[in-house]
Amino acid sequence: MIHSVIERVDRETPTTVTILFPWEKEVRPGQFIMVWIPGVGEIPISLSFTGHTKGITVKSYGPTSTAITKLRAGEKIFFRGPYGNTFRKHDGKALIVGGGSGMAGLLPLITPESHGLVSARTKAELLFADRFSPEKLTTVTDDGSSGIKGFAVEGLKSMDLGEFSMMYVCGPELMLKSVLDYISGDGIDADFSLERHMKCGIGVCDSCSIDGLQLCTQGPVFTKSALLNSREFGRERLSVSGLRVKL
Amino acid sequence: MPSLKTTITGIGLQNPLMLASGILDENGYTMKNILECGAAAVVTKSIGREERTGYRPPIVAEVPDGLLNAVGLSNPGIDNFGNEVGIALQAGKPVIGSIFGGTADDFLYVGKKMEEYGANALELNLSCPHVLGVGSEVGSDPELVEEIIGELKNKIEIPVWAKLSPNVTNILEIANAASKADAFVVINTVRGMAIDIYARRPVLSNAYGGLSGRAIKNVGIRYVYQLYKETGKPIIGVGGIEAYEDAIEYLMAGASALEIGTGVYSKGKGIFSEINSGISSFMESEGIASIKELVGAAVQ
Repeated sequence: MIHSVIERVDRETPTTVTILFPWEKEVRPGQFIMVWIPGVGEIPISLSFTGHTKGITVKSYGPTSTAITKLRAGEKIFFRGPYGNTFRKHDGKALIVGGGSGMAGLLPLITPESHGLVSARTKAELLFADRFSPEKLTTVTDDGSSGIKGFAVEGLKSMDLGEFSMMYVCGPELMLKSVLDYISGDGIDADFSLERHMKCGIGVCDSCSIDGLQLCTQGPVFTKSALLNSREFGRERLSVSGLRVKL
Repeated sequence: MPSLKTTITGIGLQNPLMLASGILDENGYTMKNILECGAAAVVTKSIGREERTGYRPPIVAEVPDGLLNAVGLSNPGIDNFGNEVGIALQAGKPVIGSIFGGTADDFLYVGKKMEEYGANALELNLSCPHVLGVGSEVGSDPELVEEIIGELKNKIEIPVWAKLSPNVTNILEIANAASKADAFVVINTVRGMAIDIYARRPVLSNAYGGLSGRAIKNVGIRYVYQLYKETGKPIIGVGGIEAYEDAIEYLMAGASALEIGTGVYSKGKGIFSEINSGISSFMESEGIASIKELVGAAVQ
């Protein structure tokens, strides 16, 4: 395991924190690390900060992610990586679409010119919406407490996508599927960063696989065209035991 | 051009390289993908009677020259595995069902189902070293091994391969108990462990694990050689094969076919075609026409 000493912990939303720590390693946007809390567990988390100081933005969910959100500055953080691929570079106008904590992995892509669609259950959980200029931001909430009421795809329907040639999308798989279905016939290209149950992070356990490819080594970023031909994306996955279940 | 074709327990293989159990073999689409990448056959993840979630992560640790793992036999249960075998079989190549259990009855139940699903052979995981009551508890009990294999050979048509553990004092004792098996698969992982010195804890959640990869290749070579020489049984060699030289070494020690697991992690899915091309060049330059000529060539 690699370890580092945490420099700072920032609260982003009521359930989400960013943990910043020094790590001399070149990391590309989209890549992730396996974060280990000794005695509790190990989970994959994408890097939200990829400069000299690295950062992860974590939502309290299960036992391990909850333990990570309780880490404090000065404490050690244990991890291995970086793992996974990166987003394709794009020179044209791009739209960044993040659902829930999915915005974390998209943060390194945001520039002052970026347009964003940020969605969450409620206004307080909108992550990194403040990183976009207000005129370039669309927000969507399940409960309508900010922006458009509904799921992320409702936000897309309210926008003129014709001005964009690329989308970078991260969030729960069913949200990704609804976005893919919506843009399937359009000229707009897209990279989707997927989240699936992952155990090993290094391409051996087969837990995170989709259509024969491993999210951890051949993803987590998949192109629009790869997912359009997928038999498992948005439909089925393997559970922690390996049981095939519907999404 | 030399021929890479080989046969093991009557099953024809396009080349000697199969995917070992426990690596990328839980999802049917992944197994199909591995077969399309050049593996001659795949061995499924070890499947038992009941669904098991296995250990919580970390289940794997990257160590010099290999991997340590303690996955804890996570599997969906045999009743839920037919679909995955069916998908893998779409590649048109053999699929070997790896099975485990605590009793002869368990093995028979799971083995029968595997046969019904279309598996071409059974590989008995007698040697998984990390779960109490199954795994090496079974594989180090000669009477139980004999009973399990006897029962399967009486009631199952497809060939039965016994995967043996190196974690025993006398491997021949277990090999003799497993003598009714059609072939031996040699070796399973070697017991191991890793500690993180900054966390002051074992890395694996189960603490103890199994070591695989290059670190154990010469352990595997030794047991393949010994079992070939002492038993004459067909052998599938596995343990640390990452280059064509390793594959040739195993064949010369007595293996008729080979399995690759950790090599897929260290070299990627292209490892099957890379090693096959290396074996082919070696055979050509050494004037060897068939794999058969290599099997046991170094055994004295």
